[in-house]
Amino acid sequence: MRYTQLQKSPVFLKIIFVISVAIIFFIGGITFKHITVLKKSSAWVSNSHEVNAELERLISYIKDAETGQRGYILSSDKSFLEPYYKSKILVRKSFKRVSKLTANSRTQQSNLKKLLFFINKRQNYLSKSLYLKEQGIYDQEILKNNLIIGKQTMDSIRIKIEDMMITQHRLLKNRQQEYESTMNYTPLLIYLTLIVTLVLITIAFIKMNRDLVLLKNTINTLSVANEANNLAEIVGGCGSWQLNFETNTYTFSDNEYRLLGCEPQSFEASLELFLNFIHPEDLEFVIEKTKSIHTHNDLAPFTYRIIKKDDKIRYFRTVGRIVTIASGDKTFIGTTSDVTDEVQAQNLIEERNRELENNNKELTAFNYIASHDLQEPLRKIETFLSRLVIKDYSNLSKSGQQYVSSIQSSANRMRVLIHDLLQFSRTNKGEKVFKEVDLNVLLENAKQELAQIMEDKKAIVESNELPTLNVIPFQIQQLFINLISNSLKYSKAKTAPIIKINASIITHNEEDLLPNSNSKYYKISIEDNGIGFEQEYAKKIFILFNRLHNKNDYEGTGIGLAICKKIVENHKGFIVAKGIPDQGATFIIYLPA
Amino acid sequence: MNTDFINICLADDDEDDRLFFTDAFDELKINTKVSTFNDGVALMNYLNNENSVLPSVLFLDLNMPKKNGVECLLEIKKNEKLSDIAIAIYSTSSSEEHIEETFINGANIYIKKPNDFEDLKKILAEVVTINWQYHTSGLNKDNFLMRM
Repeated sequence: MRYTQLQKSPVFLKIIFVISVAIIFFIGGITFKHITVLKKSSAWVSNSHEVNAELERLISYIKDAETGQRGYILSSDKSFLEPYYKSKILVRKSFKRVSKLTANSRTQQSNLKKLLFFINKRQNYLSKSLYLKEQGIYDQEILKNNLIIGKQTMDSIRIKIEDMMITQHRLLKNRQQEYESTMNYTPLLIYLTLIVTLVLITIAFIKMNRDLVLLKNTINTLSVANEANNLAEIVGGCGSWQLNFETNTYTFSDNEYRLLGCEPQSFEASLELFLNFIHPEDLEFVIEKTKSIHTHNDLAPFTYRIIKKDDKIRYFRTVGRIVTIASGDKTFIGTTSDVTDEVQAQNLIEERNRELENNNKELTAFNYIASHDLQEPLRKIETFLSRLVIKDYSNLSKSGQQYVSSIQSSANRMRVLIHDLLQFSRTNKGEKVFKEVDLNVLLENAKQELAQIMEDKKAIVESNELPTLNVIPFQIQQLFINLISNSLKYSKAKTAPIIKINASIITHNEEDLLPNSNSKYYKISIEDNGIGFEQEYAKKIFILFNRLHNKNDYEGTGIGLAICKKIVENHKGFIVAKGIPDQGATFIIYLPA
Repeated sequence: MNTDFINICLADDDEDDRLFFTDAFDELKINTKVSTFNDGVALMNYLNNENSVLPSVLFLDLNMPKKNGVECLLEIKKNEKLSDIAIAIYSTSSSEEHIEETFINGANIYIKKPNDFEDLKKILAEVVTINWQYHTSGLNKDNFLMRM
């Protein structure tokens, strides 16, 4: 969120910059215009002064001519005529200058024309007076007339020139007014724009200042995070690296170097230099993986070996993915961790597992082969015994007959033992094929299997509706057979056995021994009215070859219930036994629903 | 060919078992002619000989040297001349795998060798008097294993 604020900042600053530059150009333009106006107006001032001066000079030249002429007329000294002639040229020159200076004013030009007319008239009269003098025509009247007209003309000239001076003054005044009116509002304008610029620059400054604070905070946070990351990398035994797609350059974190056994940043990060550390046997695989960086967004974790700088072989695991950073650039970030301990532990476990599996297989095979192959000679012994009993029993002495029947019962017992052992090894071995089966059917099959003994003992098996479960069918059937035959075996001598089988569904928290992992269980209880047992033996009876009774009192191998336990465990269930001596025993099976 | 006798063959490598077998038939009051073979190879040589009298029932032990019972069974069932012989598997083992394998490969009945000589006699008497045609038509995995 704060970073996006920083992202927008440059745009804002650019806008302010552009506005400020525009304003400065504007002010510059106005100032330029003003200086031009100022320059012009001062030019006008000096122009007006020059015009005035020239006009003064003009009139003085004319006066000079008049004075000279007058002097000559009075004294007839020709030396008085010198200024008169000179002034003629000077007047012309002066007039030309005035005409030039006032070239841009029409009023002055028309004034000048009139002035020229008067000047010419005046000069004509002057020449005429001179002419009369030179001819010696000295008529008082004519001279007087001439002089009067000359004086009048002179007055006209003076008036005209004064007029022109006034006009010039007026022009100057007008221009100055004009200039002043422009000059009046422009400072205000400049001032205003300057204030606006200042405000904008202040805003920009505040904004930049804020951004700088934000940037500083962000940098602080980042550097703390970076340091935390460095520490985490050291503790976690991992390093990180980045690949910038724009520049195709790599960056390794400090710990990445340490993992390789090098000083941090001791060489320039690159794929080639990193590949130098890879174990030659894994090199091809790693190169293949690094190629996939360019085609996939994710680099799935993979493990390979490297040879550290100190020649030690370590296992590395690398994982990575593409990250699009705020500016829109794409960077591939990856983490490499030293998983040597993990891999070694894993290898050890796998090895142990294999050993264990092999041992288990051997044991199972041994158990199976032993019990299976033992059947063969036993069967011979029993068959020969049966022949002996039938053919030669009567020929044997009393003790001989006793021995034979002892041998027979021992052989019989051995057969049961071998049979049960074989059964036990089969519950271990065998394919465990799970199927959805109706347990009622399995119970029915079990009852059929035991039909003969049940009939002999007049036993009754009562059961309510059993569920349909995903089980290994023949094992569950075996479970029922073993539990029912167990109840039949340990029934009271003079009471007909009644076996009650009940099923219900329960949740794991109704029984302490059930784990939390599976929420629902089927509880199947098998209750009998037999001889029962002391509760303290409840766990012992499930241990292989464990028996609570003398084998002469109750036949049994101590395998049947161990098989039951094994079967229930194969189904991830639990079995417990509850006994009350002389009242009966209850076996409870919990199977995951 | 003497039709008064029921010809019976047994292939079993165990001498005692062959003895029990012949003794049992000797004691049974059935007109049988029993030939025994020590292994699968000897049995197959006999059956493949054109002059041999083919048995009506062949008892096959599974675990035999050279050629075991299952190999013999496969060979017999492949041979058109021999495929009509009723085959009774006669083994110590009663493992599901053996029962399943021999059933699939066309054996007619599976006998687990009994522990009692009298039982043996009963079983053999029953087997040789089976109406094979009737038995085979209703054969399934449940009645394949001979029960006493």
